[in-house]
Amino acid sequence: MANQTKTEKFIIPIGPQHPALKEPGHFEFTVDGEIVTGATARLGYVHRGIEKGCEERNYIQDLYLLERICGICSHVHATAYALGVEKLANVTVTPRAQAIRQVVAELERIHSHMLWLGVAAHEAGFETLFMYSWRDRETVMDLLEGLTGNRVHYSANVLGGVKCDITPEQRDAILRGLDYLDERMQYYMNVVTSDETFLGRTRGVGVLTYEQAETLGSVGPTARASGVTRDIRLESPYLVYSEFPVKVILDDGCDLLARFVVRIKELFESSRVIRLIVDNLPAGELTVRMPRRIPENEAVSRVEAPRGELFYYLKSNGTDMPERIKVRTPSICNWSSVVVTAIGHKLADIPMILAGIDPCFSCSDRSVQICSASGGVSKIWTWEQLRQYGIEYYR
Amino acid sequence: MKIGSMFGNVIQSLFKKPVTEMYPFVKKSSPERYRGQLFFDPSRCTACQLCVKDCPAEALELIVIDRAAKKIVMHYQADRCTFCGQCVVDCKFDCLNMDSQRWELAATRKEPFTFFYGNEADVQSILASAAQGGAQPPAQG
Amino acid sequence: MNLSISPLLALLIFPGGLFILFVGLAYEWVDRKLIAQLQNRIGPRWFQPLADIVKILAKEEITPDGVSPALFNALPVAALAAVLTAALYVPMAGMQPSFSFRGDLIVTLYLLSMITICIGLAGVNTIDRFSVLGATRTLTQLFSYEAPFLLALLGPAIVAGSWQISDISAYARGHWGLILLTQPISFIVALIGLMGKLELPPFDAPEAETEIVSGAMTEYSGRGLALFHVARDAELLIGLTLIATFFLGGIANPIEFLLKTLGLLLVMAILQALFARLRIDQTVGMWWRFGSILALVQILVLVILKSIGVL
Repeated sequence: MANQTKTEKFIIPIGPQHPALKEPGHFEFTVDGEIVTGATARLGYVHRGIEKGCEERNYIQDLYLLERICGICSHVHATAYALGVEKLANVTVTPRAQAIRQVVAELERIHSHMLWLGVAAHEAGFETLFMYSWRDRETVMDLLEGLTGNRVHYSANVLGGVKCDITPEQRDAILRGLDYLDERMQYYMNVVTSDETFLGRTRGVGVLTYEQAETLGSVGPTARASGVTRDIRLESPYLVYSEFPVKVILDDGCDLLARFVVRIKELFESSRVIRLIVDNLPAGELTVRMPRRIPENEAVSRVEAPRGELFYYLKSNGTDMPERIKVRTPSICNWSSVVVTAIGHKLADIPMILAGIDPCFSCSDRSVQICSASGGVSKIWTWEQLRQYGIEYYR
Repeated sequence: MKIGSMFGNVIQSLFKKPVTEMYPFVKKSSPERYRGQLFFDPSRCTACQLCVKDCPAEALELIVIDRAAKKIVMHYQADRCTFCGQCVVDCKFDCLNMDSQRWELAATRKEPFTFFYGNEADVQSILASAAQGGAQPPAQG
Repeated sequence: MNLSISPLLALLIFPGGLFILFVGLAYEWVDRKLIAQLQNRIGPRWFQPLADIVKILAKEEITPDGVSPALFNALPVAALAAVLTAALYVPMAGMQPSFSFRGDLIVTLYLLSMITICIGLAGVNTIDRFSVLGATRTLTQLFSYEAPFLLALLGPAIVAGSWQISDISAYARGHWGLILLTQPISFIVALIGLMGKLELPPFDAPEAETEIVSGAMTEYSGRGLALFHVARDAELLIGLTLIATFFLGGIANPIEFLLKTLGLLLVMAILQALFARLRIDQTVGMWWRFGSILALVQILVLVILKSIGVL
């Protein structure tokens, strides 16, 4: 890392400990003065062996383990897993439960986008917007706390349905909260699109063209801000998205400003869908009986997390513990866009570009197979071996 | 072309009270669905052990002295609990509930986190055998 | 015309030394509290800046590899010394300046620039790339706001016909409405220039926490950091006093001192809360395009007014 080449090029390390990153990740930017000429990324600092841990616990325990992959998109992980297991067991969940899952998912999207707005403003040095958007985020967190019982890690799902119901009082509270949030979001939209100092930091920065977004496989709002129509809620509707559809929000700006606009507009969409659902909640039971031992089967479930497409692959083997669970989170797809768009920008734009894809480092670390360095046979470690390796490494 | 577009909000805040909650001087009550500390009532328990099997953190342990006479003691480790509520969902006889107002559980030692729930006599007999075995007597549930 | 207290007392207690250190910390607290109120939250308690300094002083000073140790340890001391010396020529707390001589306006302004130069040197001294980047930005910013700031402060000096702060202060006390009326641009440029000098947001690119950790002061911890921190606060106090003296009609007594400087601090806090951080190239562009032109226009207006006998 301490390379100072003869041609006066610096390598600026950002991370793994850096005030710009909320979680550890290592980026090396080769700069020439203040212009970035090259970038590399290295992840893997938050690997916790979750996929391996899933194989040692039964399906119900795994629901809570997988929920804790990420704090902000926890419900989406749990929903994707629950949908996958219900597919494996061939169980149909009641519409009421699906609708409540969707309400919580959209509330979580609101929460995630408001958090992101604050963090991106903080990276730009706009502390006031940071404080105000996080103050308003408390509203949605209180709504979720009243509905599910916790502010983060809602644990609203059980295999076969949901735990919590939406009573009329909660419906009123949700509608009131959404009214307040709609007004605030309109205000933030005005601020973000008209404040000249903020526009100076976001307009024309981090341009990711349509072709680049397609080639690099970006997902989520990052891709939609470059005009790529990629939204799982429309492509393969899950939960009750076929009865209560969401409009896809596209923007042609391709730069950081477009990503802000797309995310704030998605908030309006989420708010609209939540209002529609709580007024038209289908009647019925909340849970359906699920077998404890799932027969041999394979399933894939895809959901739209706030950051993009979340992909789960599950394999069962007839016992009450899964054979294999593979998680592919959206942040993994978006890293390459950072490395490509950073070139040519000034150093001061780098934290903004990093924040622009809404990175979730905790989601990004998956690795199970270890190949030996001498090119021998690759073997899959057991849980005990993985734990022992971790203990030895840190001793 | 506007500069200082947050001007209105910012100036108004000069005259408003800060929105920060003054915890611990002022405590808001938590919503009724909040998942706080777990409590166990053995009077309806059948010792099916579903809660123990499904706990993701292995925080529960059932010590069965006499199943038919409902002499069951539950050993609950609050520092392992993730407050997910799966045990409450699993129990078909409503023996478990989470108190939404008891959530200030921080402590500086391990002992305040160990709870034994059950009838008084049963708990005492468990503690006596634990003390004989050399374990520390923990806090009462 | 000099304040009649023994020089040693003037240096150590008032108006240099302890007075300016503690009042500087108090002003930092007021600034942070005002910004917090503008952001709808509670700010720090009254003893927070003092607690910060005491804590930092108690920490171990780690001298990194590859620095010249003499420079590393001497620079914070030099910065603080420069700022404390500048305090002697400024009418602090409504009293006359302790020492006064012809041309002391220029000396004061250069002493205030010393701290920026010391920080720049401190950054270049280490081989840590964050510090070098921070130092480059600090010095680049120095070259952009210094000229307009000086020109703006020269406005009242021109109309007062003297480069001595006590003379300008006496003139301002007599004609304060006139100064503000004929030189509003200078006032604004001086105020914003002070924000640039102190590296307050939106001009805090040299210390951008999210980009280059802490800029030039990254490698400092312990004594050096505490001294730089205190020097910054003292610079805040002196800058506010200067601007209040020149543009708001002089300072006749401590009450006026408090009111005027705190009023300026409120305006600065509002400006700090309203804007996002400007990139360094945007800062330079803004100062050289708007700042200098405005300051020059103002000087031109003043010269014309003076020559036709209005002033």
